[in-house]
Amino acid sequence: MDIQFVGENLLPGKLGQFFVILSFCSALLATISYYFATVNKNKSPLGGEFNLLAASWQRIGRIAFLLNLLAIIGIGSCLFYIIYNHLFEYHYAWAHSSKTLPVYYIISSFWEGQEGSFWLWMFWQGVLGSVIFWKGKSWEGSVMTTVMFSQTFLASMLIGIEIFDIRIGSSPFILLRDAIEGPIFSRPDYLSLIQDGNGLNPLLQNYWMVIHPPTLFLGFASMIIPFAYAIAGLWEKRYSEWVKVALPWALFAVMILGTGIIMGSFWAYEALNFGGFWAWDPVENASIIPWLTLIAAIHVLIAYKNSGHSYFTATFLVLISFFMVLYASFLTRSGILGETSVHAFTDLGMFWHLVIYMLTFLFLSVGLIIYRWKELPITKKDEETYSREFWLFIGALILTIACVQIIATTSIPVFNAVFGTKVAPPADVIKHYNKWQVPFAIVIAMISAFSQFLKYKNTDIRKFFISIAVSLIAALIVTAIAVYITKVYNNAMYILLTYASVFSIIANAKILGEALKGKWKLAGSSVAHIGFAMLLIGALVAAATSKTVSINNTGGGFGDEFAKSNDPKENILLYKDEPIKMDRYTVTYRGDSTEGVNTYYRVNYQVIDEKTGKIKENFDLYPNAQQNAKMKQIIASPDTRHYLFHDIYTHVSSVPLKEETHADHEGHTDEENYEKPVIHEVNVGDTVRYRDGFMVVKAINRNASIQNIPVASGDVAIGMQVEVNTEGKKYTAEPVYLLKGGSLYDFGKTVEEVGLKVRFTNVYPDRDKLELQVYQKPKVEKTWIVMKAIEFPYINLFWGGTIIMVVGFLLSIFRRNKENKTT
Amino acid sequence: MKKSSIVGIVIIAIAICVIISTYADSSTYGNFTDARDTQSELHVVGQLNKEKELFYKPQQDANYFAFYMKDNKGGECKVVFNGTKPQDFERSEQIVLTGKMVGNEFHASKILMKCPSKYTKDQIEVTEANAVTVKS
Repeated sequence: MDIQFVGENLLPGKLGQFFVILSFCSALLATISYYFATVNKNKSPLGGEFNLLAASWQRIGRIAFLLNLLAIIGIGSCLFYIIYNHLFEYHYAWAHSSKTLPVYYIISSFWEGQEGSFWLWMFWQGVLGSVIFWKGKSWEGSVMTTVMFSQTFLASMLIGIEIFDIRIGSSPFILLRDAIEGPIFSRPDYLSLIQDGNGLNPLLQNYWMVIHPPTLFLGFASMIIPFAYAIAGLWEKRYSEWVKVALPWALFAVMILGTGIIMGSFWAYEALNFGGFWAWDPVENASIIPWLTLIAAIHVLIAYKNSGHSYFTATFLVLISFFMVLYASFLTRSGILGETSVHAFTDLGMFWHLVIYMLTFLFLSVGLIIYRWKELPITKKDEETYSREFWLFIGALILTIACVQIIATTSIPVFNAVFGTKVAPPADVIKHYNKWQVPFAIVIAMISAFSQFLKYKNTDIRKFFISIAVSLIAALIVTAIAVYITKVYNNAMYILLTYASVFSIIANAKILGEALKGKWKLAGSSVAHIGFAMLLIGALVAAATSKTVSINNTGGGFGDEFAKSNDPKENILLYKDEPIKMDRYTVTYRGDSTEGVNTYYRVNYQVIDEKTGKIKENFDLYPNAQQNAKMKQIIASPDTRHYLFHDIYTHVSSVPLKEETHADHEGHTDEENYEKPVIHEVNVGDTVRYRDGFMVVKAINRNASIQNIPVASGDVAIGMQVEVNTEGKKYTAEPVYLLKGGSLYDFGKTVEEVGLKVRFTNVYPDRDKLELQVYQKPKVEKTWIVMKAIEFPYINLFWGGTIIMVVGFLLSIFRRNKENKTT
Repeated sequence: MKKSSIVGIVIIAIAICVIISTYADSSTYGNFTDARDTQSELHVVGQLNKEKELFYKPQQDANYFAFYMKDNKGGECKVVFNGTKPQDFERSEQIVLTGKMVGNEFHASKILMKCPSKYTKDQIEVTEANAVTVKS
């Protein structure tokens, strides 16, 4: 049964799918060609027929590579076209975008799904491959073999074709009607029923989410280059040669990946409401592990380059870093993290595909090392204790152990899957990680400080101790002051970490001072180390002394037992326009405004000087929440006031859900807006109470007139003059009672300001009473928000340290690149 | 023996200690019955009992959220959470609680939910769902 579906635009999808297949085939062809080019080249280093063969293989490899690049750009263009033009017949566009998305978020919806992020990875790998293509020279063949091999695997993730009942990969060009089953797809015009896509997760609708994924994936993708050089070095027996050329690439990778990770951290801080910049979530851990191992690798690469020591460690760490990138993508994309992470993707049926990708590269690395083991330039000499290479080695190993700890805890779900156990992650994850990582950080910071004063091979011990003694003592004084100001003196570990970091800053600043005098060579590393130490202090102080300022001391009513075991209470209830004193701030909720899908809650903060009553600080924060009345949920995003030395971070944790207001309907009477009337029998001078105040019957107006109705001689028109008193204000109203031609009418009066309506409905001459009906509008519930506010002191040290560190990496790249050119 | 080999051995020893103590720190999965027998915190996986009322009244106490959850063995328990009601809680398919029993209530320190979120699950919103009878 074939249905002719109406309105589908199938061309971009078919074209895209063609490019997917092309990218896979061309990558495979490039891998094979470059492989044979390398093999043939190595058979006859002096020329001859093998060289000719190598050249033609290389030419095929190059053509295949360019074809692959073209295919990748083709995939991207087709996918962008589909999303940009809201072609919801494609599952990817339907699942990740909507018509209301602005263009810059269409870009982020592009990589919201797994397929898009695989594409991003492929794209960057292609871009980096072209650099090797142009500049790789004698390395092109061997390095490109590995790069294109990885590219082949990535392309296979996008194929989405079934072979022997197994679907390989997941294509971004799959049609909605093929991806999902539903009765509407049996209708030819189903597309007209699908008005809009699912849209982009509101948490991802953030400026940082436009640039964080590309940066992160450029970082991940660039990890392949040092890896490929290491493999090439083993393969072509160019054991020491590869170290020099790989070094700038490794520095580039850590610089970009570090930037990407911190951007993610900044996004979490700015847009998520878990109240912090790092949560040790498995997804975060997965990205920081390769970063740390490659940093360790860089240090031993430098040690090997300058002293000939630690060859194996250097190779091992470079290889394991890329493996960790693959492990990270396995963790986040296979769905294995399930119960332990909120951020991970769900499984797209690529579990084993990812495992194969990972294991292939693992076996490739391990196999090559074993195969070449006897030839590796491993020194038999012992390092001197007072040599730089020895401490570079120790530092790298400590970093590696720190990683082992992170991997061990993050991998608990993997162990459960492999061994069939049911171990749960630690109950307090953050405490668990900090317990381990703080001591590691202390040791690393110390080593990063004093090893700067050591020389390669051997160092004059006396000179060494004299030069670090000054820094050690200076650090002692600075630490004492810093610890006092930042209030971290309650914890010995924190004091030690502050000391180690301050020591590192001072020691490296000293080196930097010398660098400025002319020894430019060391500037990069000292700047990077200063940045890293600042980052440590910033993270420590901001995390350890962050203070929830929205402590709620009221509330309660659930028994002392609950209160005792569960304070402090971190969320506070604010009624509109009722100021509440919160720490040193007077906080007032001023109302909300809606812009698009977001509702912004205006929260005013004031710091009032208690003596003079002057307002010292005054600012508004607009934490927002996306309301979805249908789903009965809110998605909240914080707003933060940034100061130089601290941040005030605020998010709403609960807000009243907006009811969809029903429109006026036919037969709508004025009375409907009011509660049932209260009937009073009154006389002049009487006082009547109502909910919000009272009213006094002032006088009777016997000559009342009613607009447009002539009062004839036999008619009676009486007005009752009522004065309403509420909240110290007075309002007057004169409802009128009319007897005209034997019929009874009355004309009520409303007092809009106070939500009242009064009617003069009857006269009882026998009792000398008048009937007054009082209508009240239903009591409006006071609007409120529940919010949480946290003060993060000195968090700018964290961001600032990161920027300085990145600058340091950049300087180092220039230096190492220059070295390669001159030698 | 080379100094770096000795250092290597020491490092490996530390690494093993790290891994062992990681598992010493780890918690366990259990149900409410297990929770009654122990003093330490544990993880309980289960589903929200949607028939019973969720209690969250910010006007009374912005930091008190209570609900009833059924663990995977079917045991039901009142759960008290010291905080606001998590977003999207009613629609959760699965809940992982971290916490311990206090009296007859389970006091959760952390709640992790799995939701069939609009953004992950394939549910098509059709504008005129039942206007036409489906022909097959």
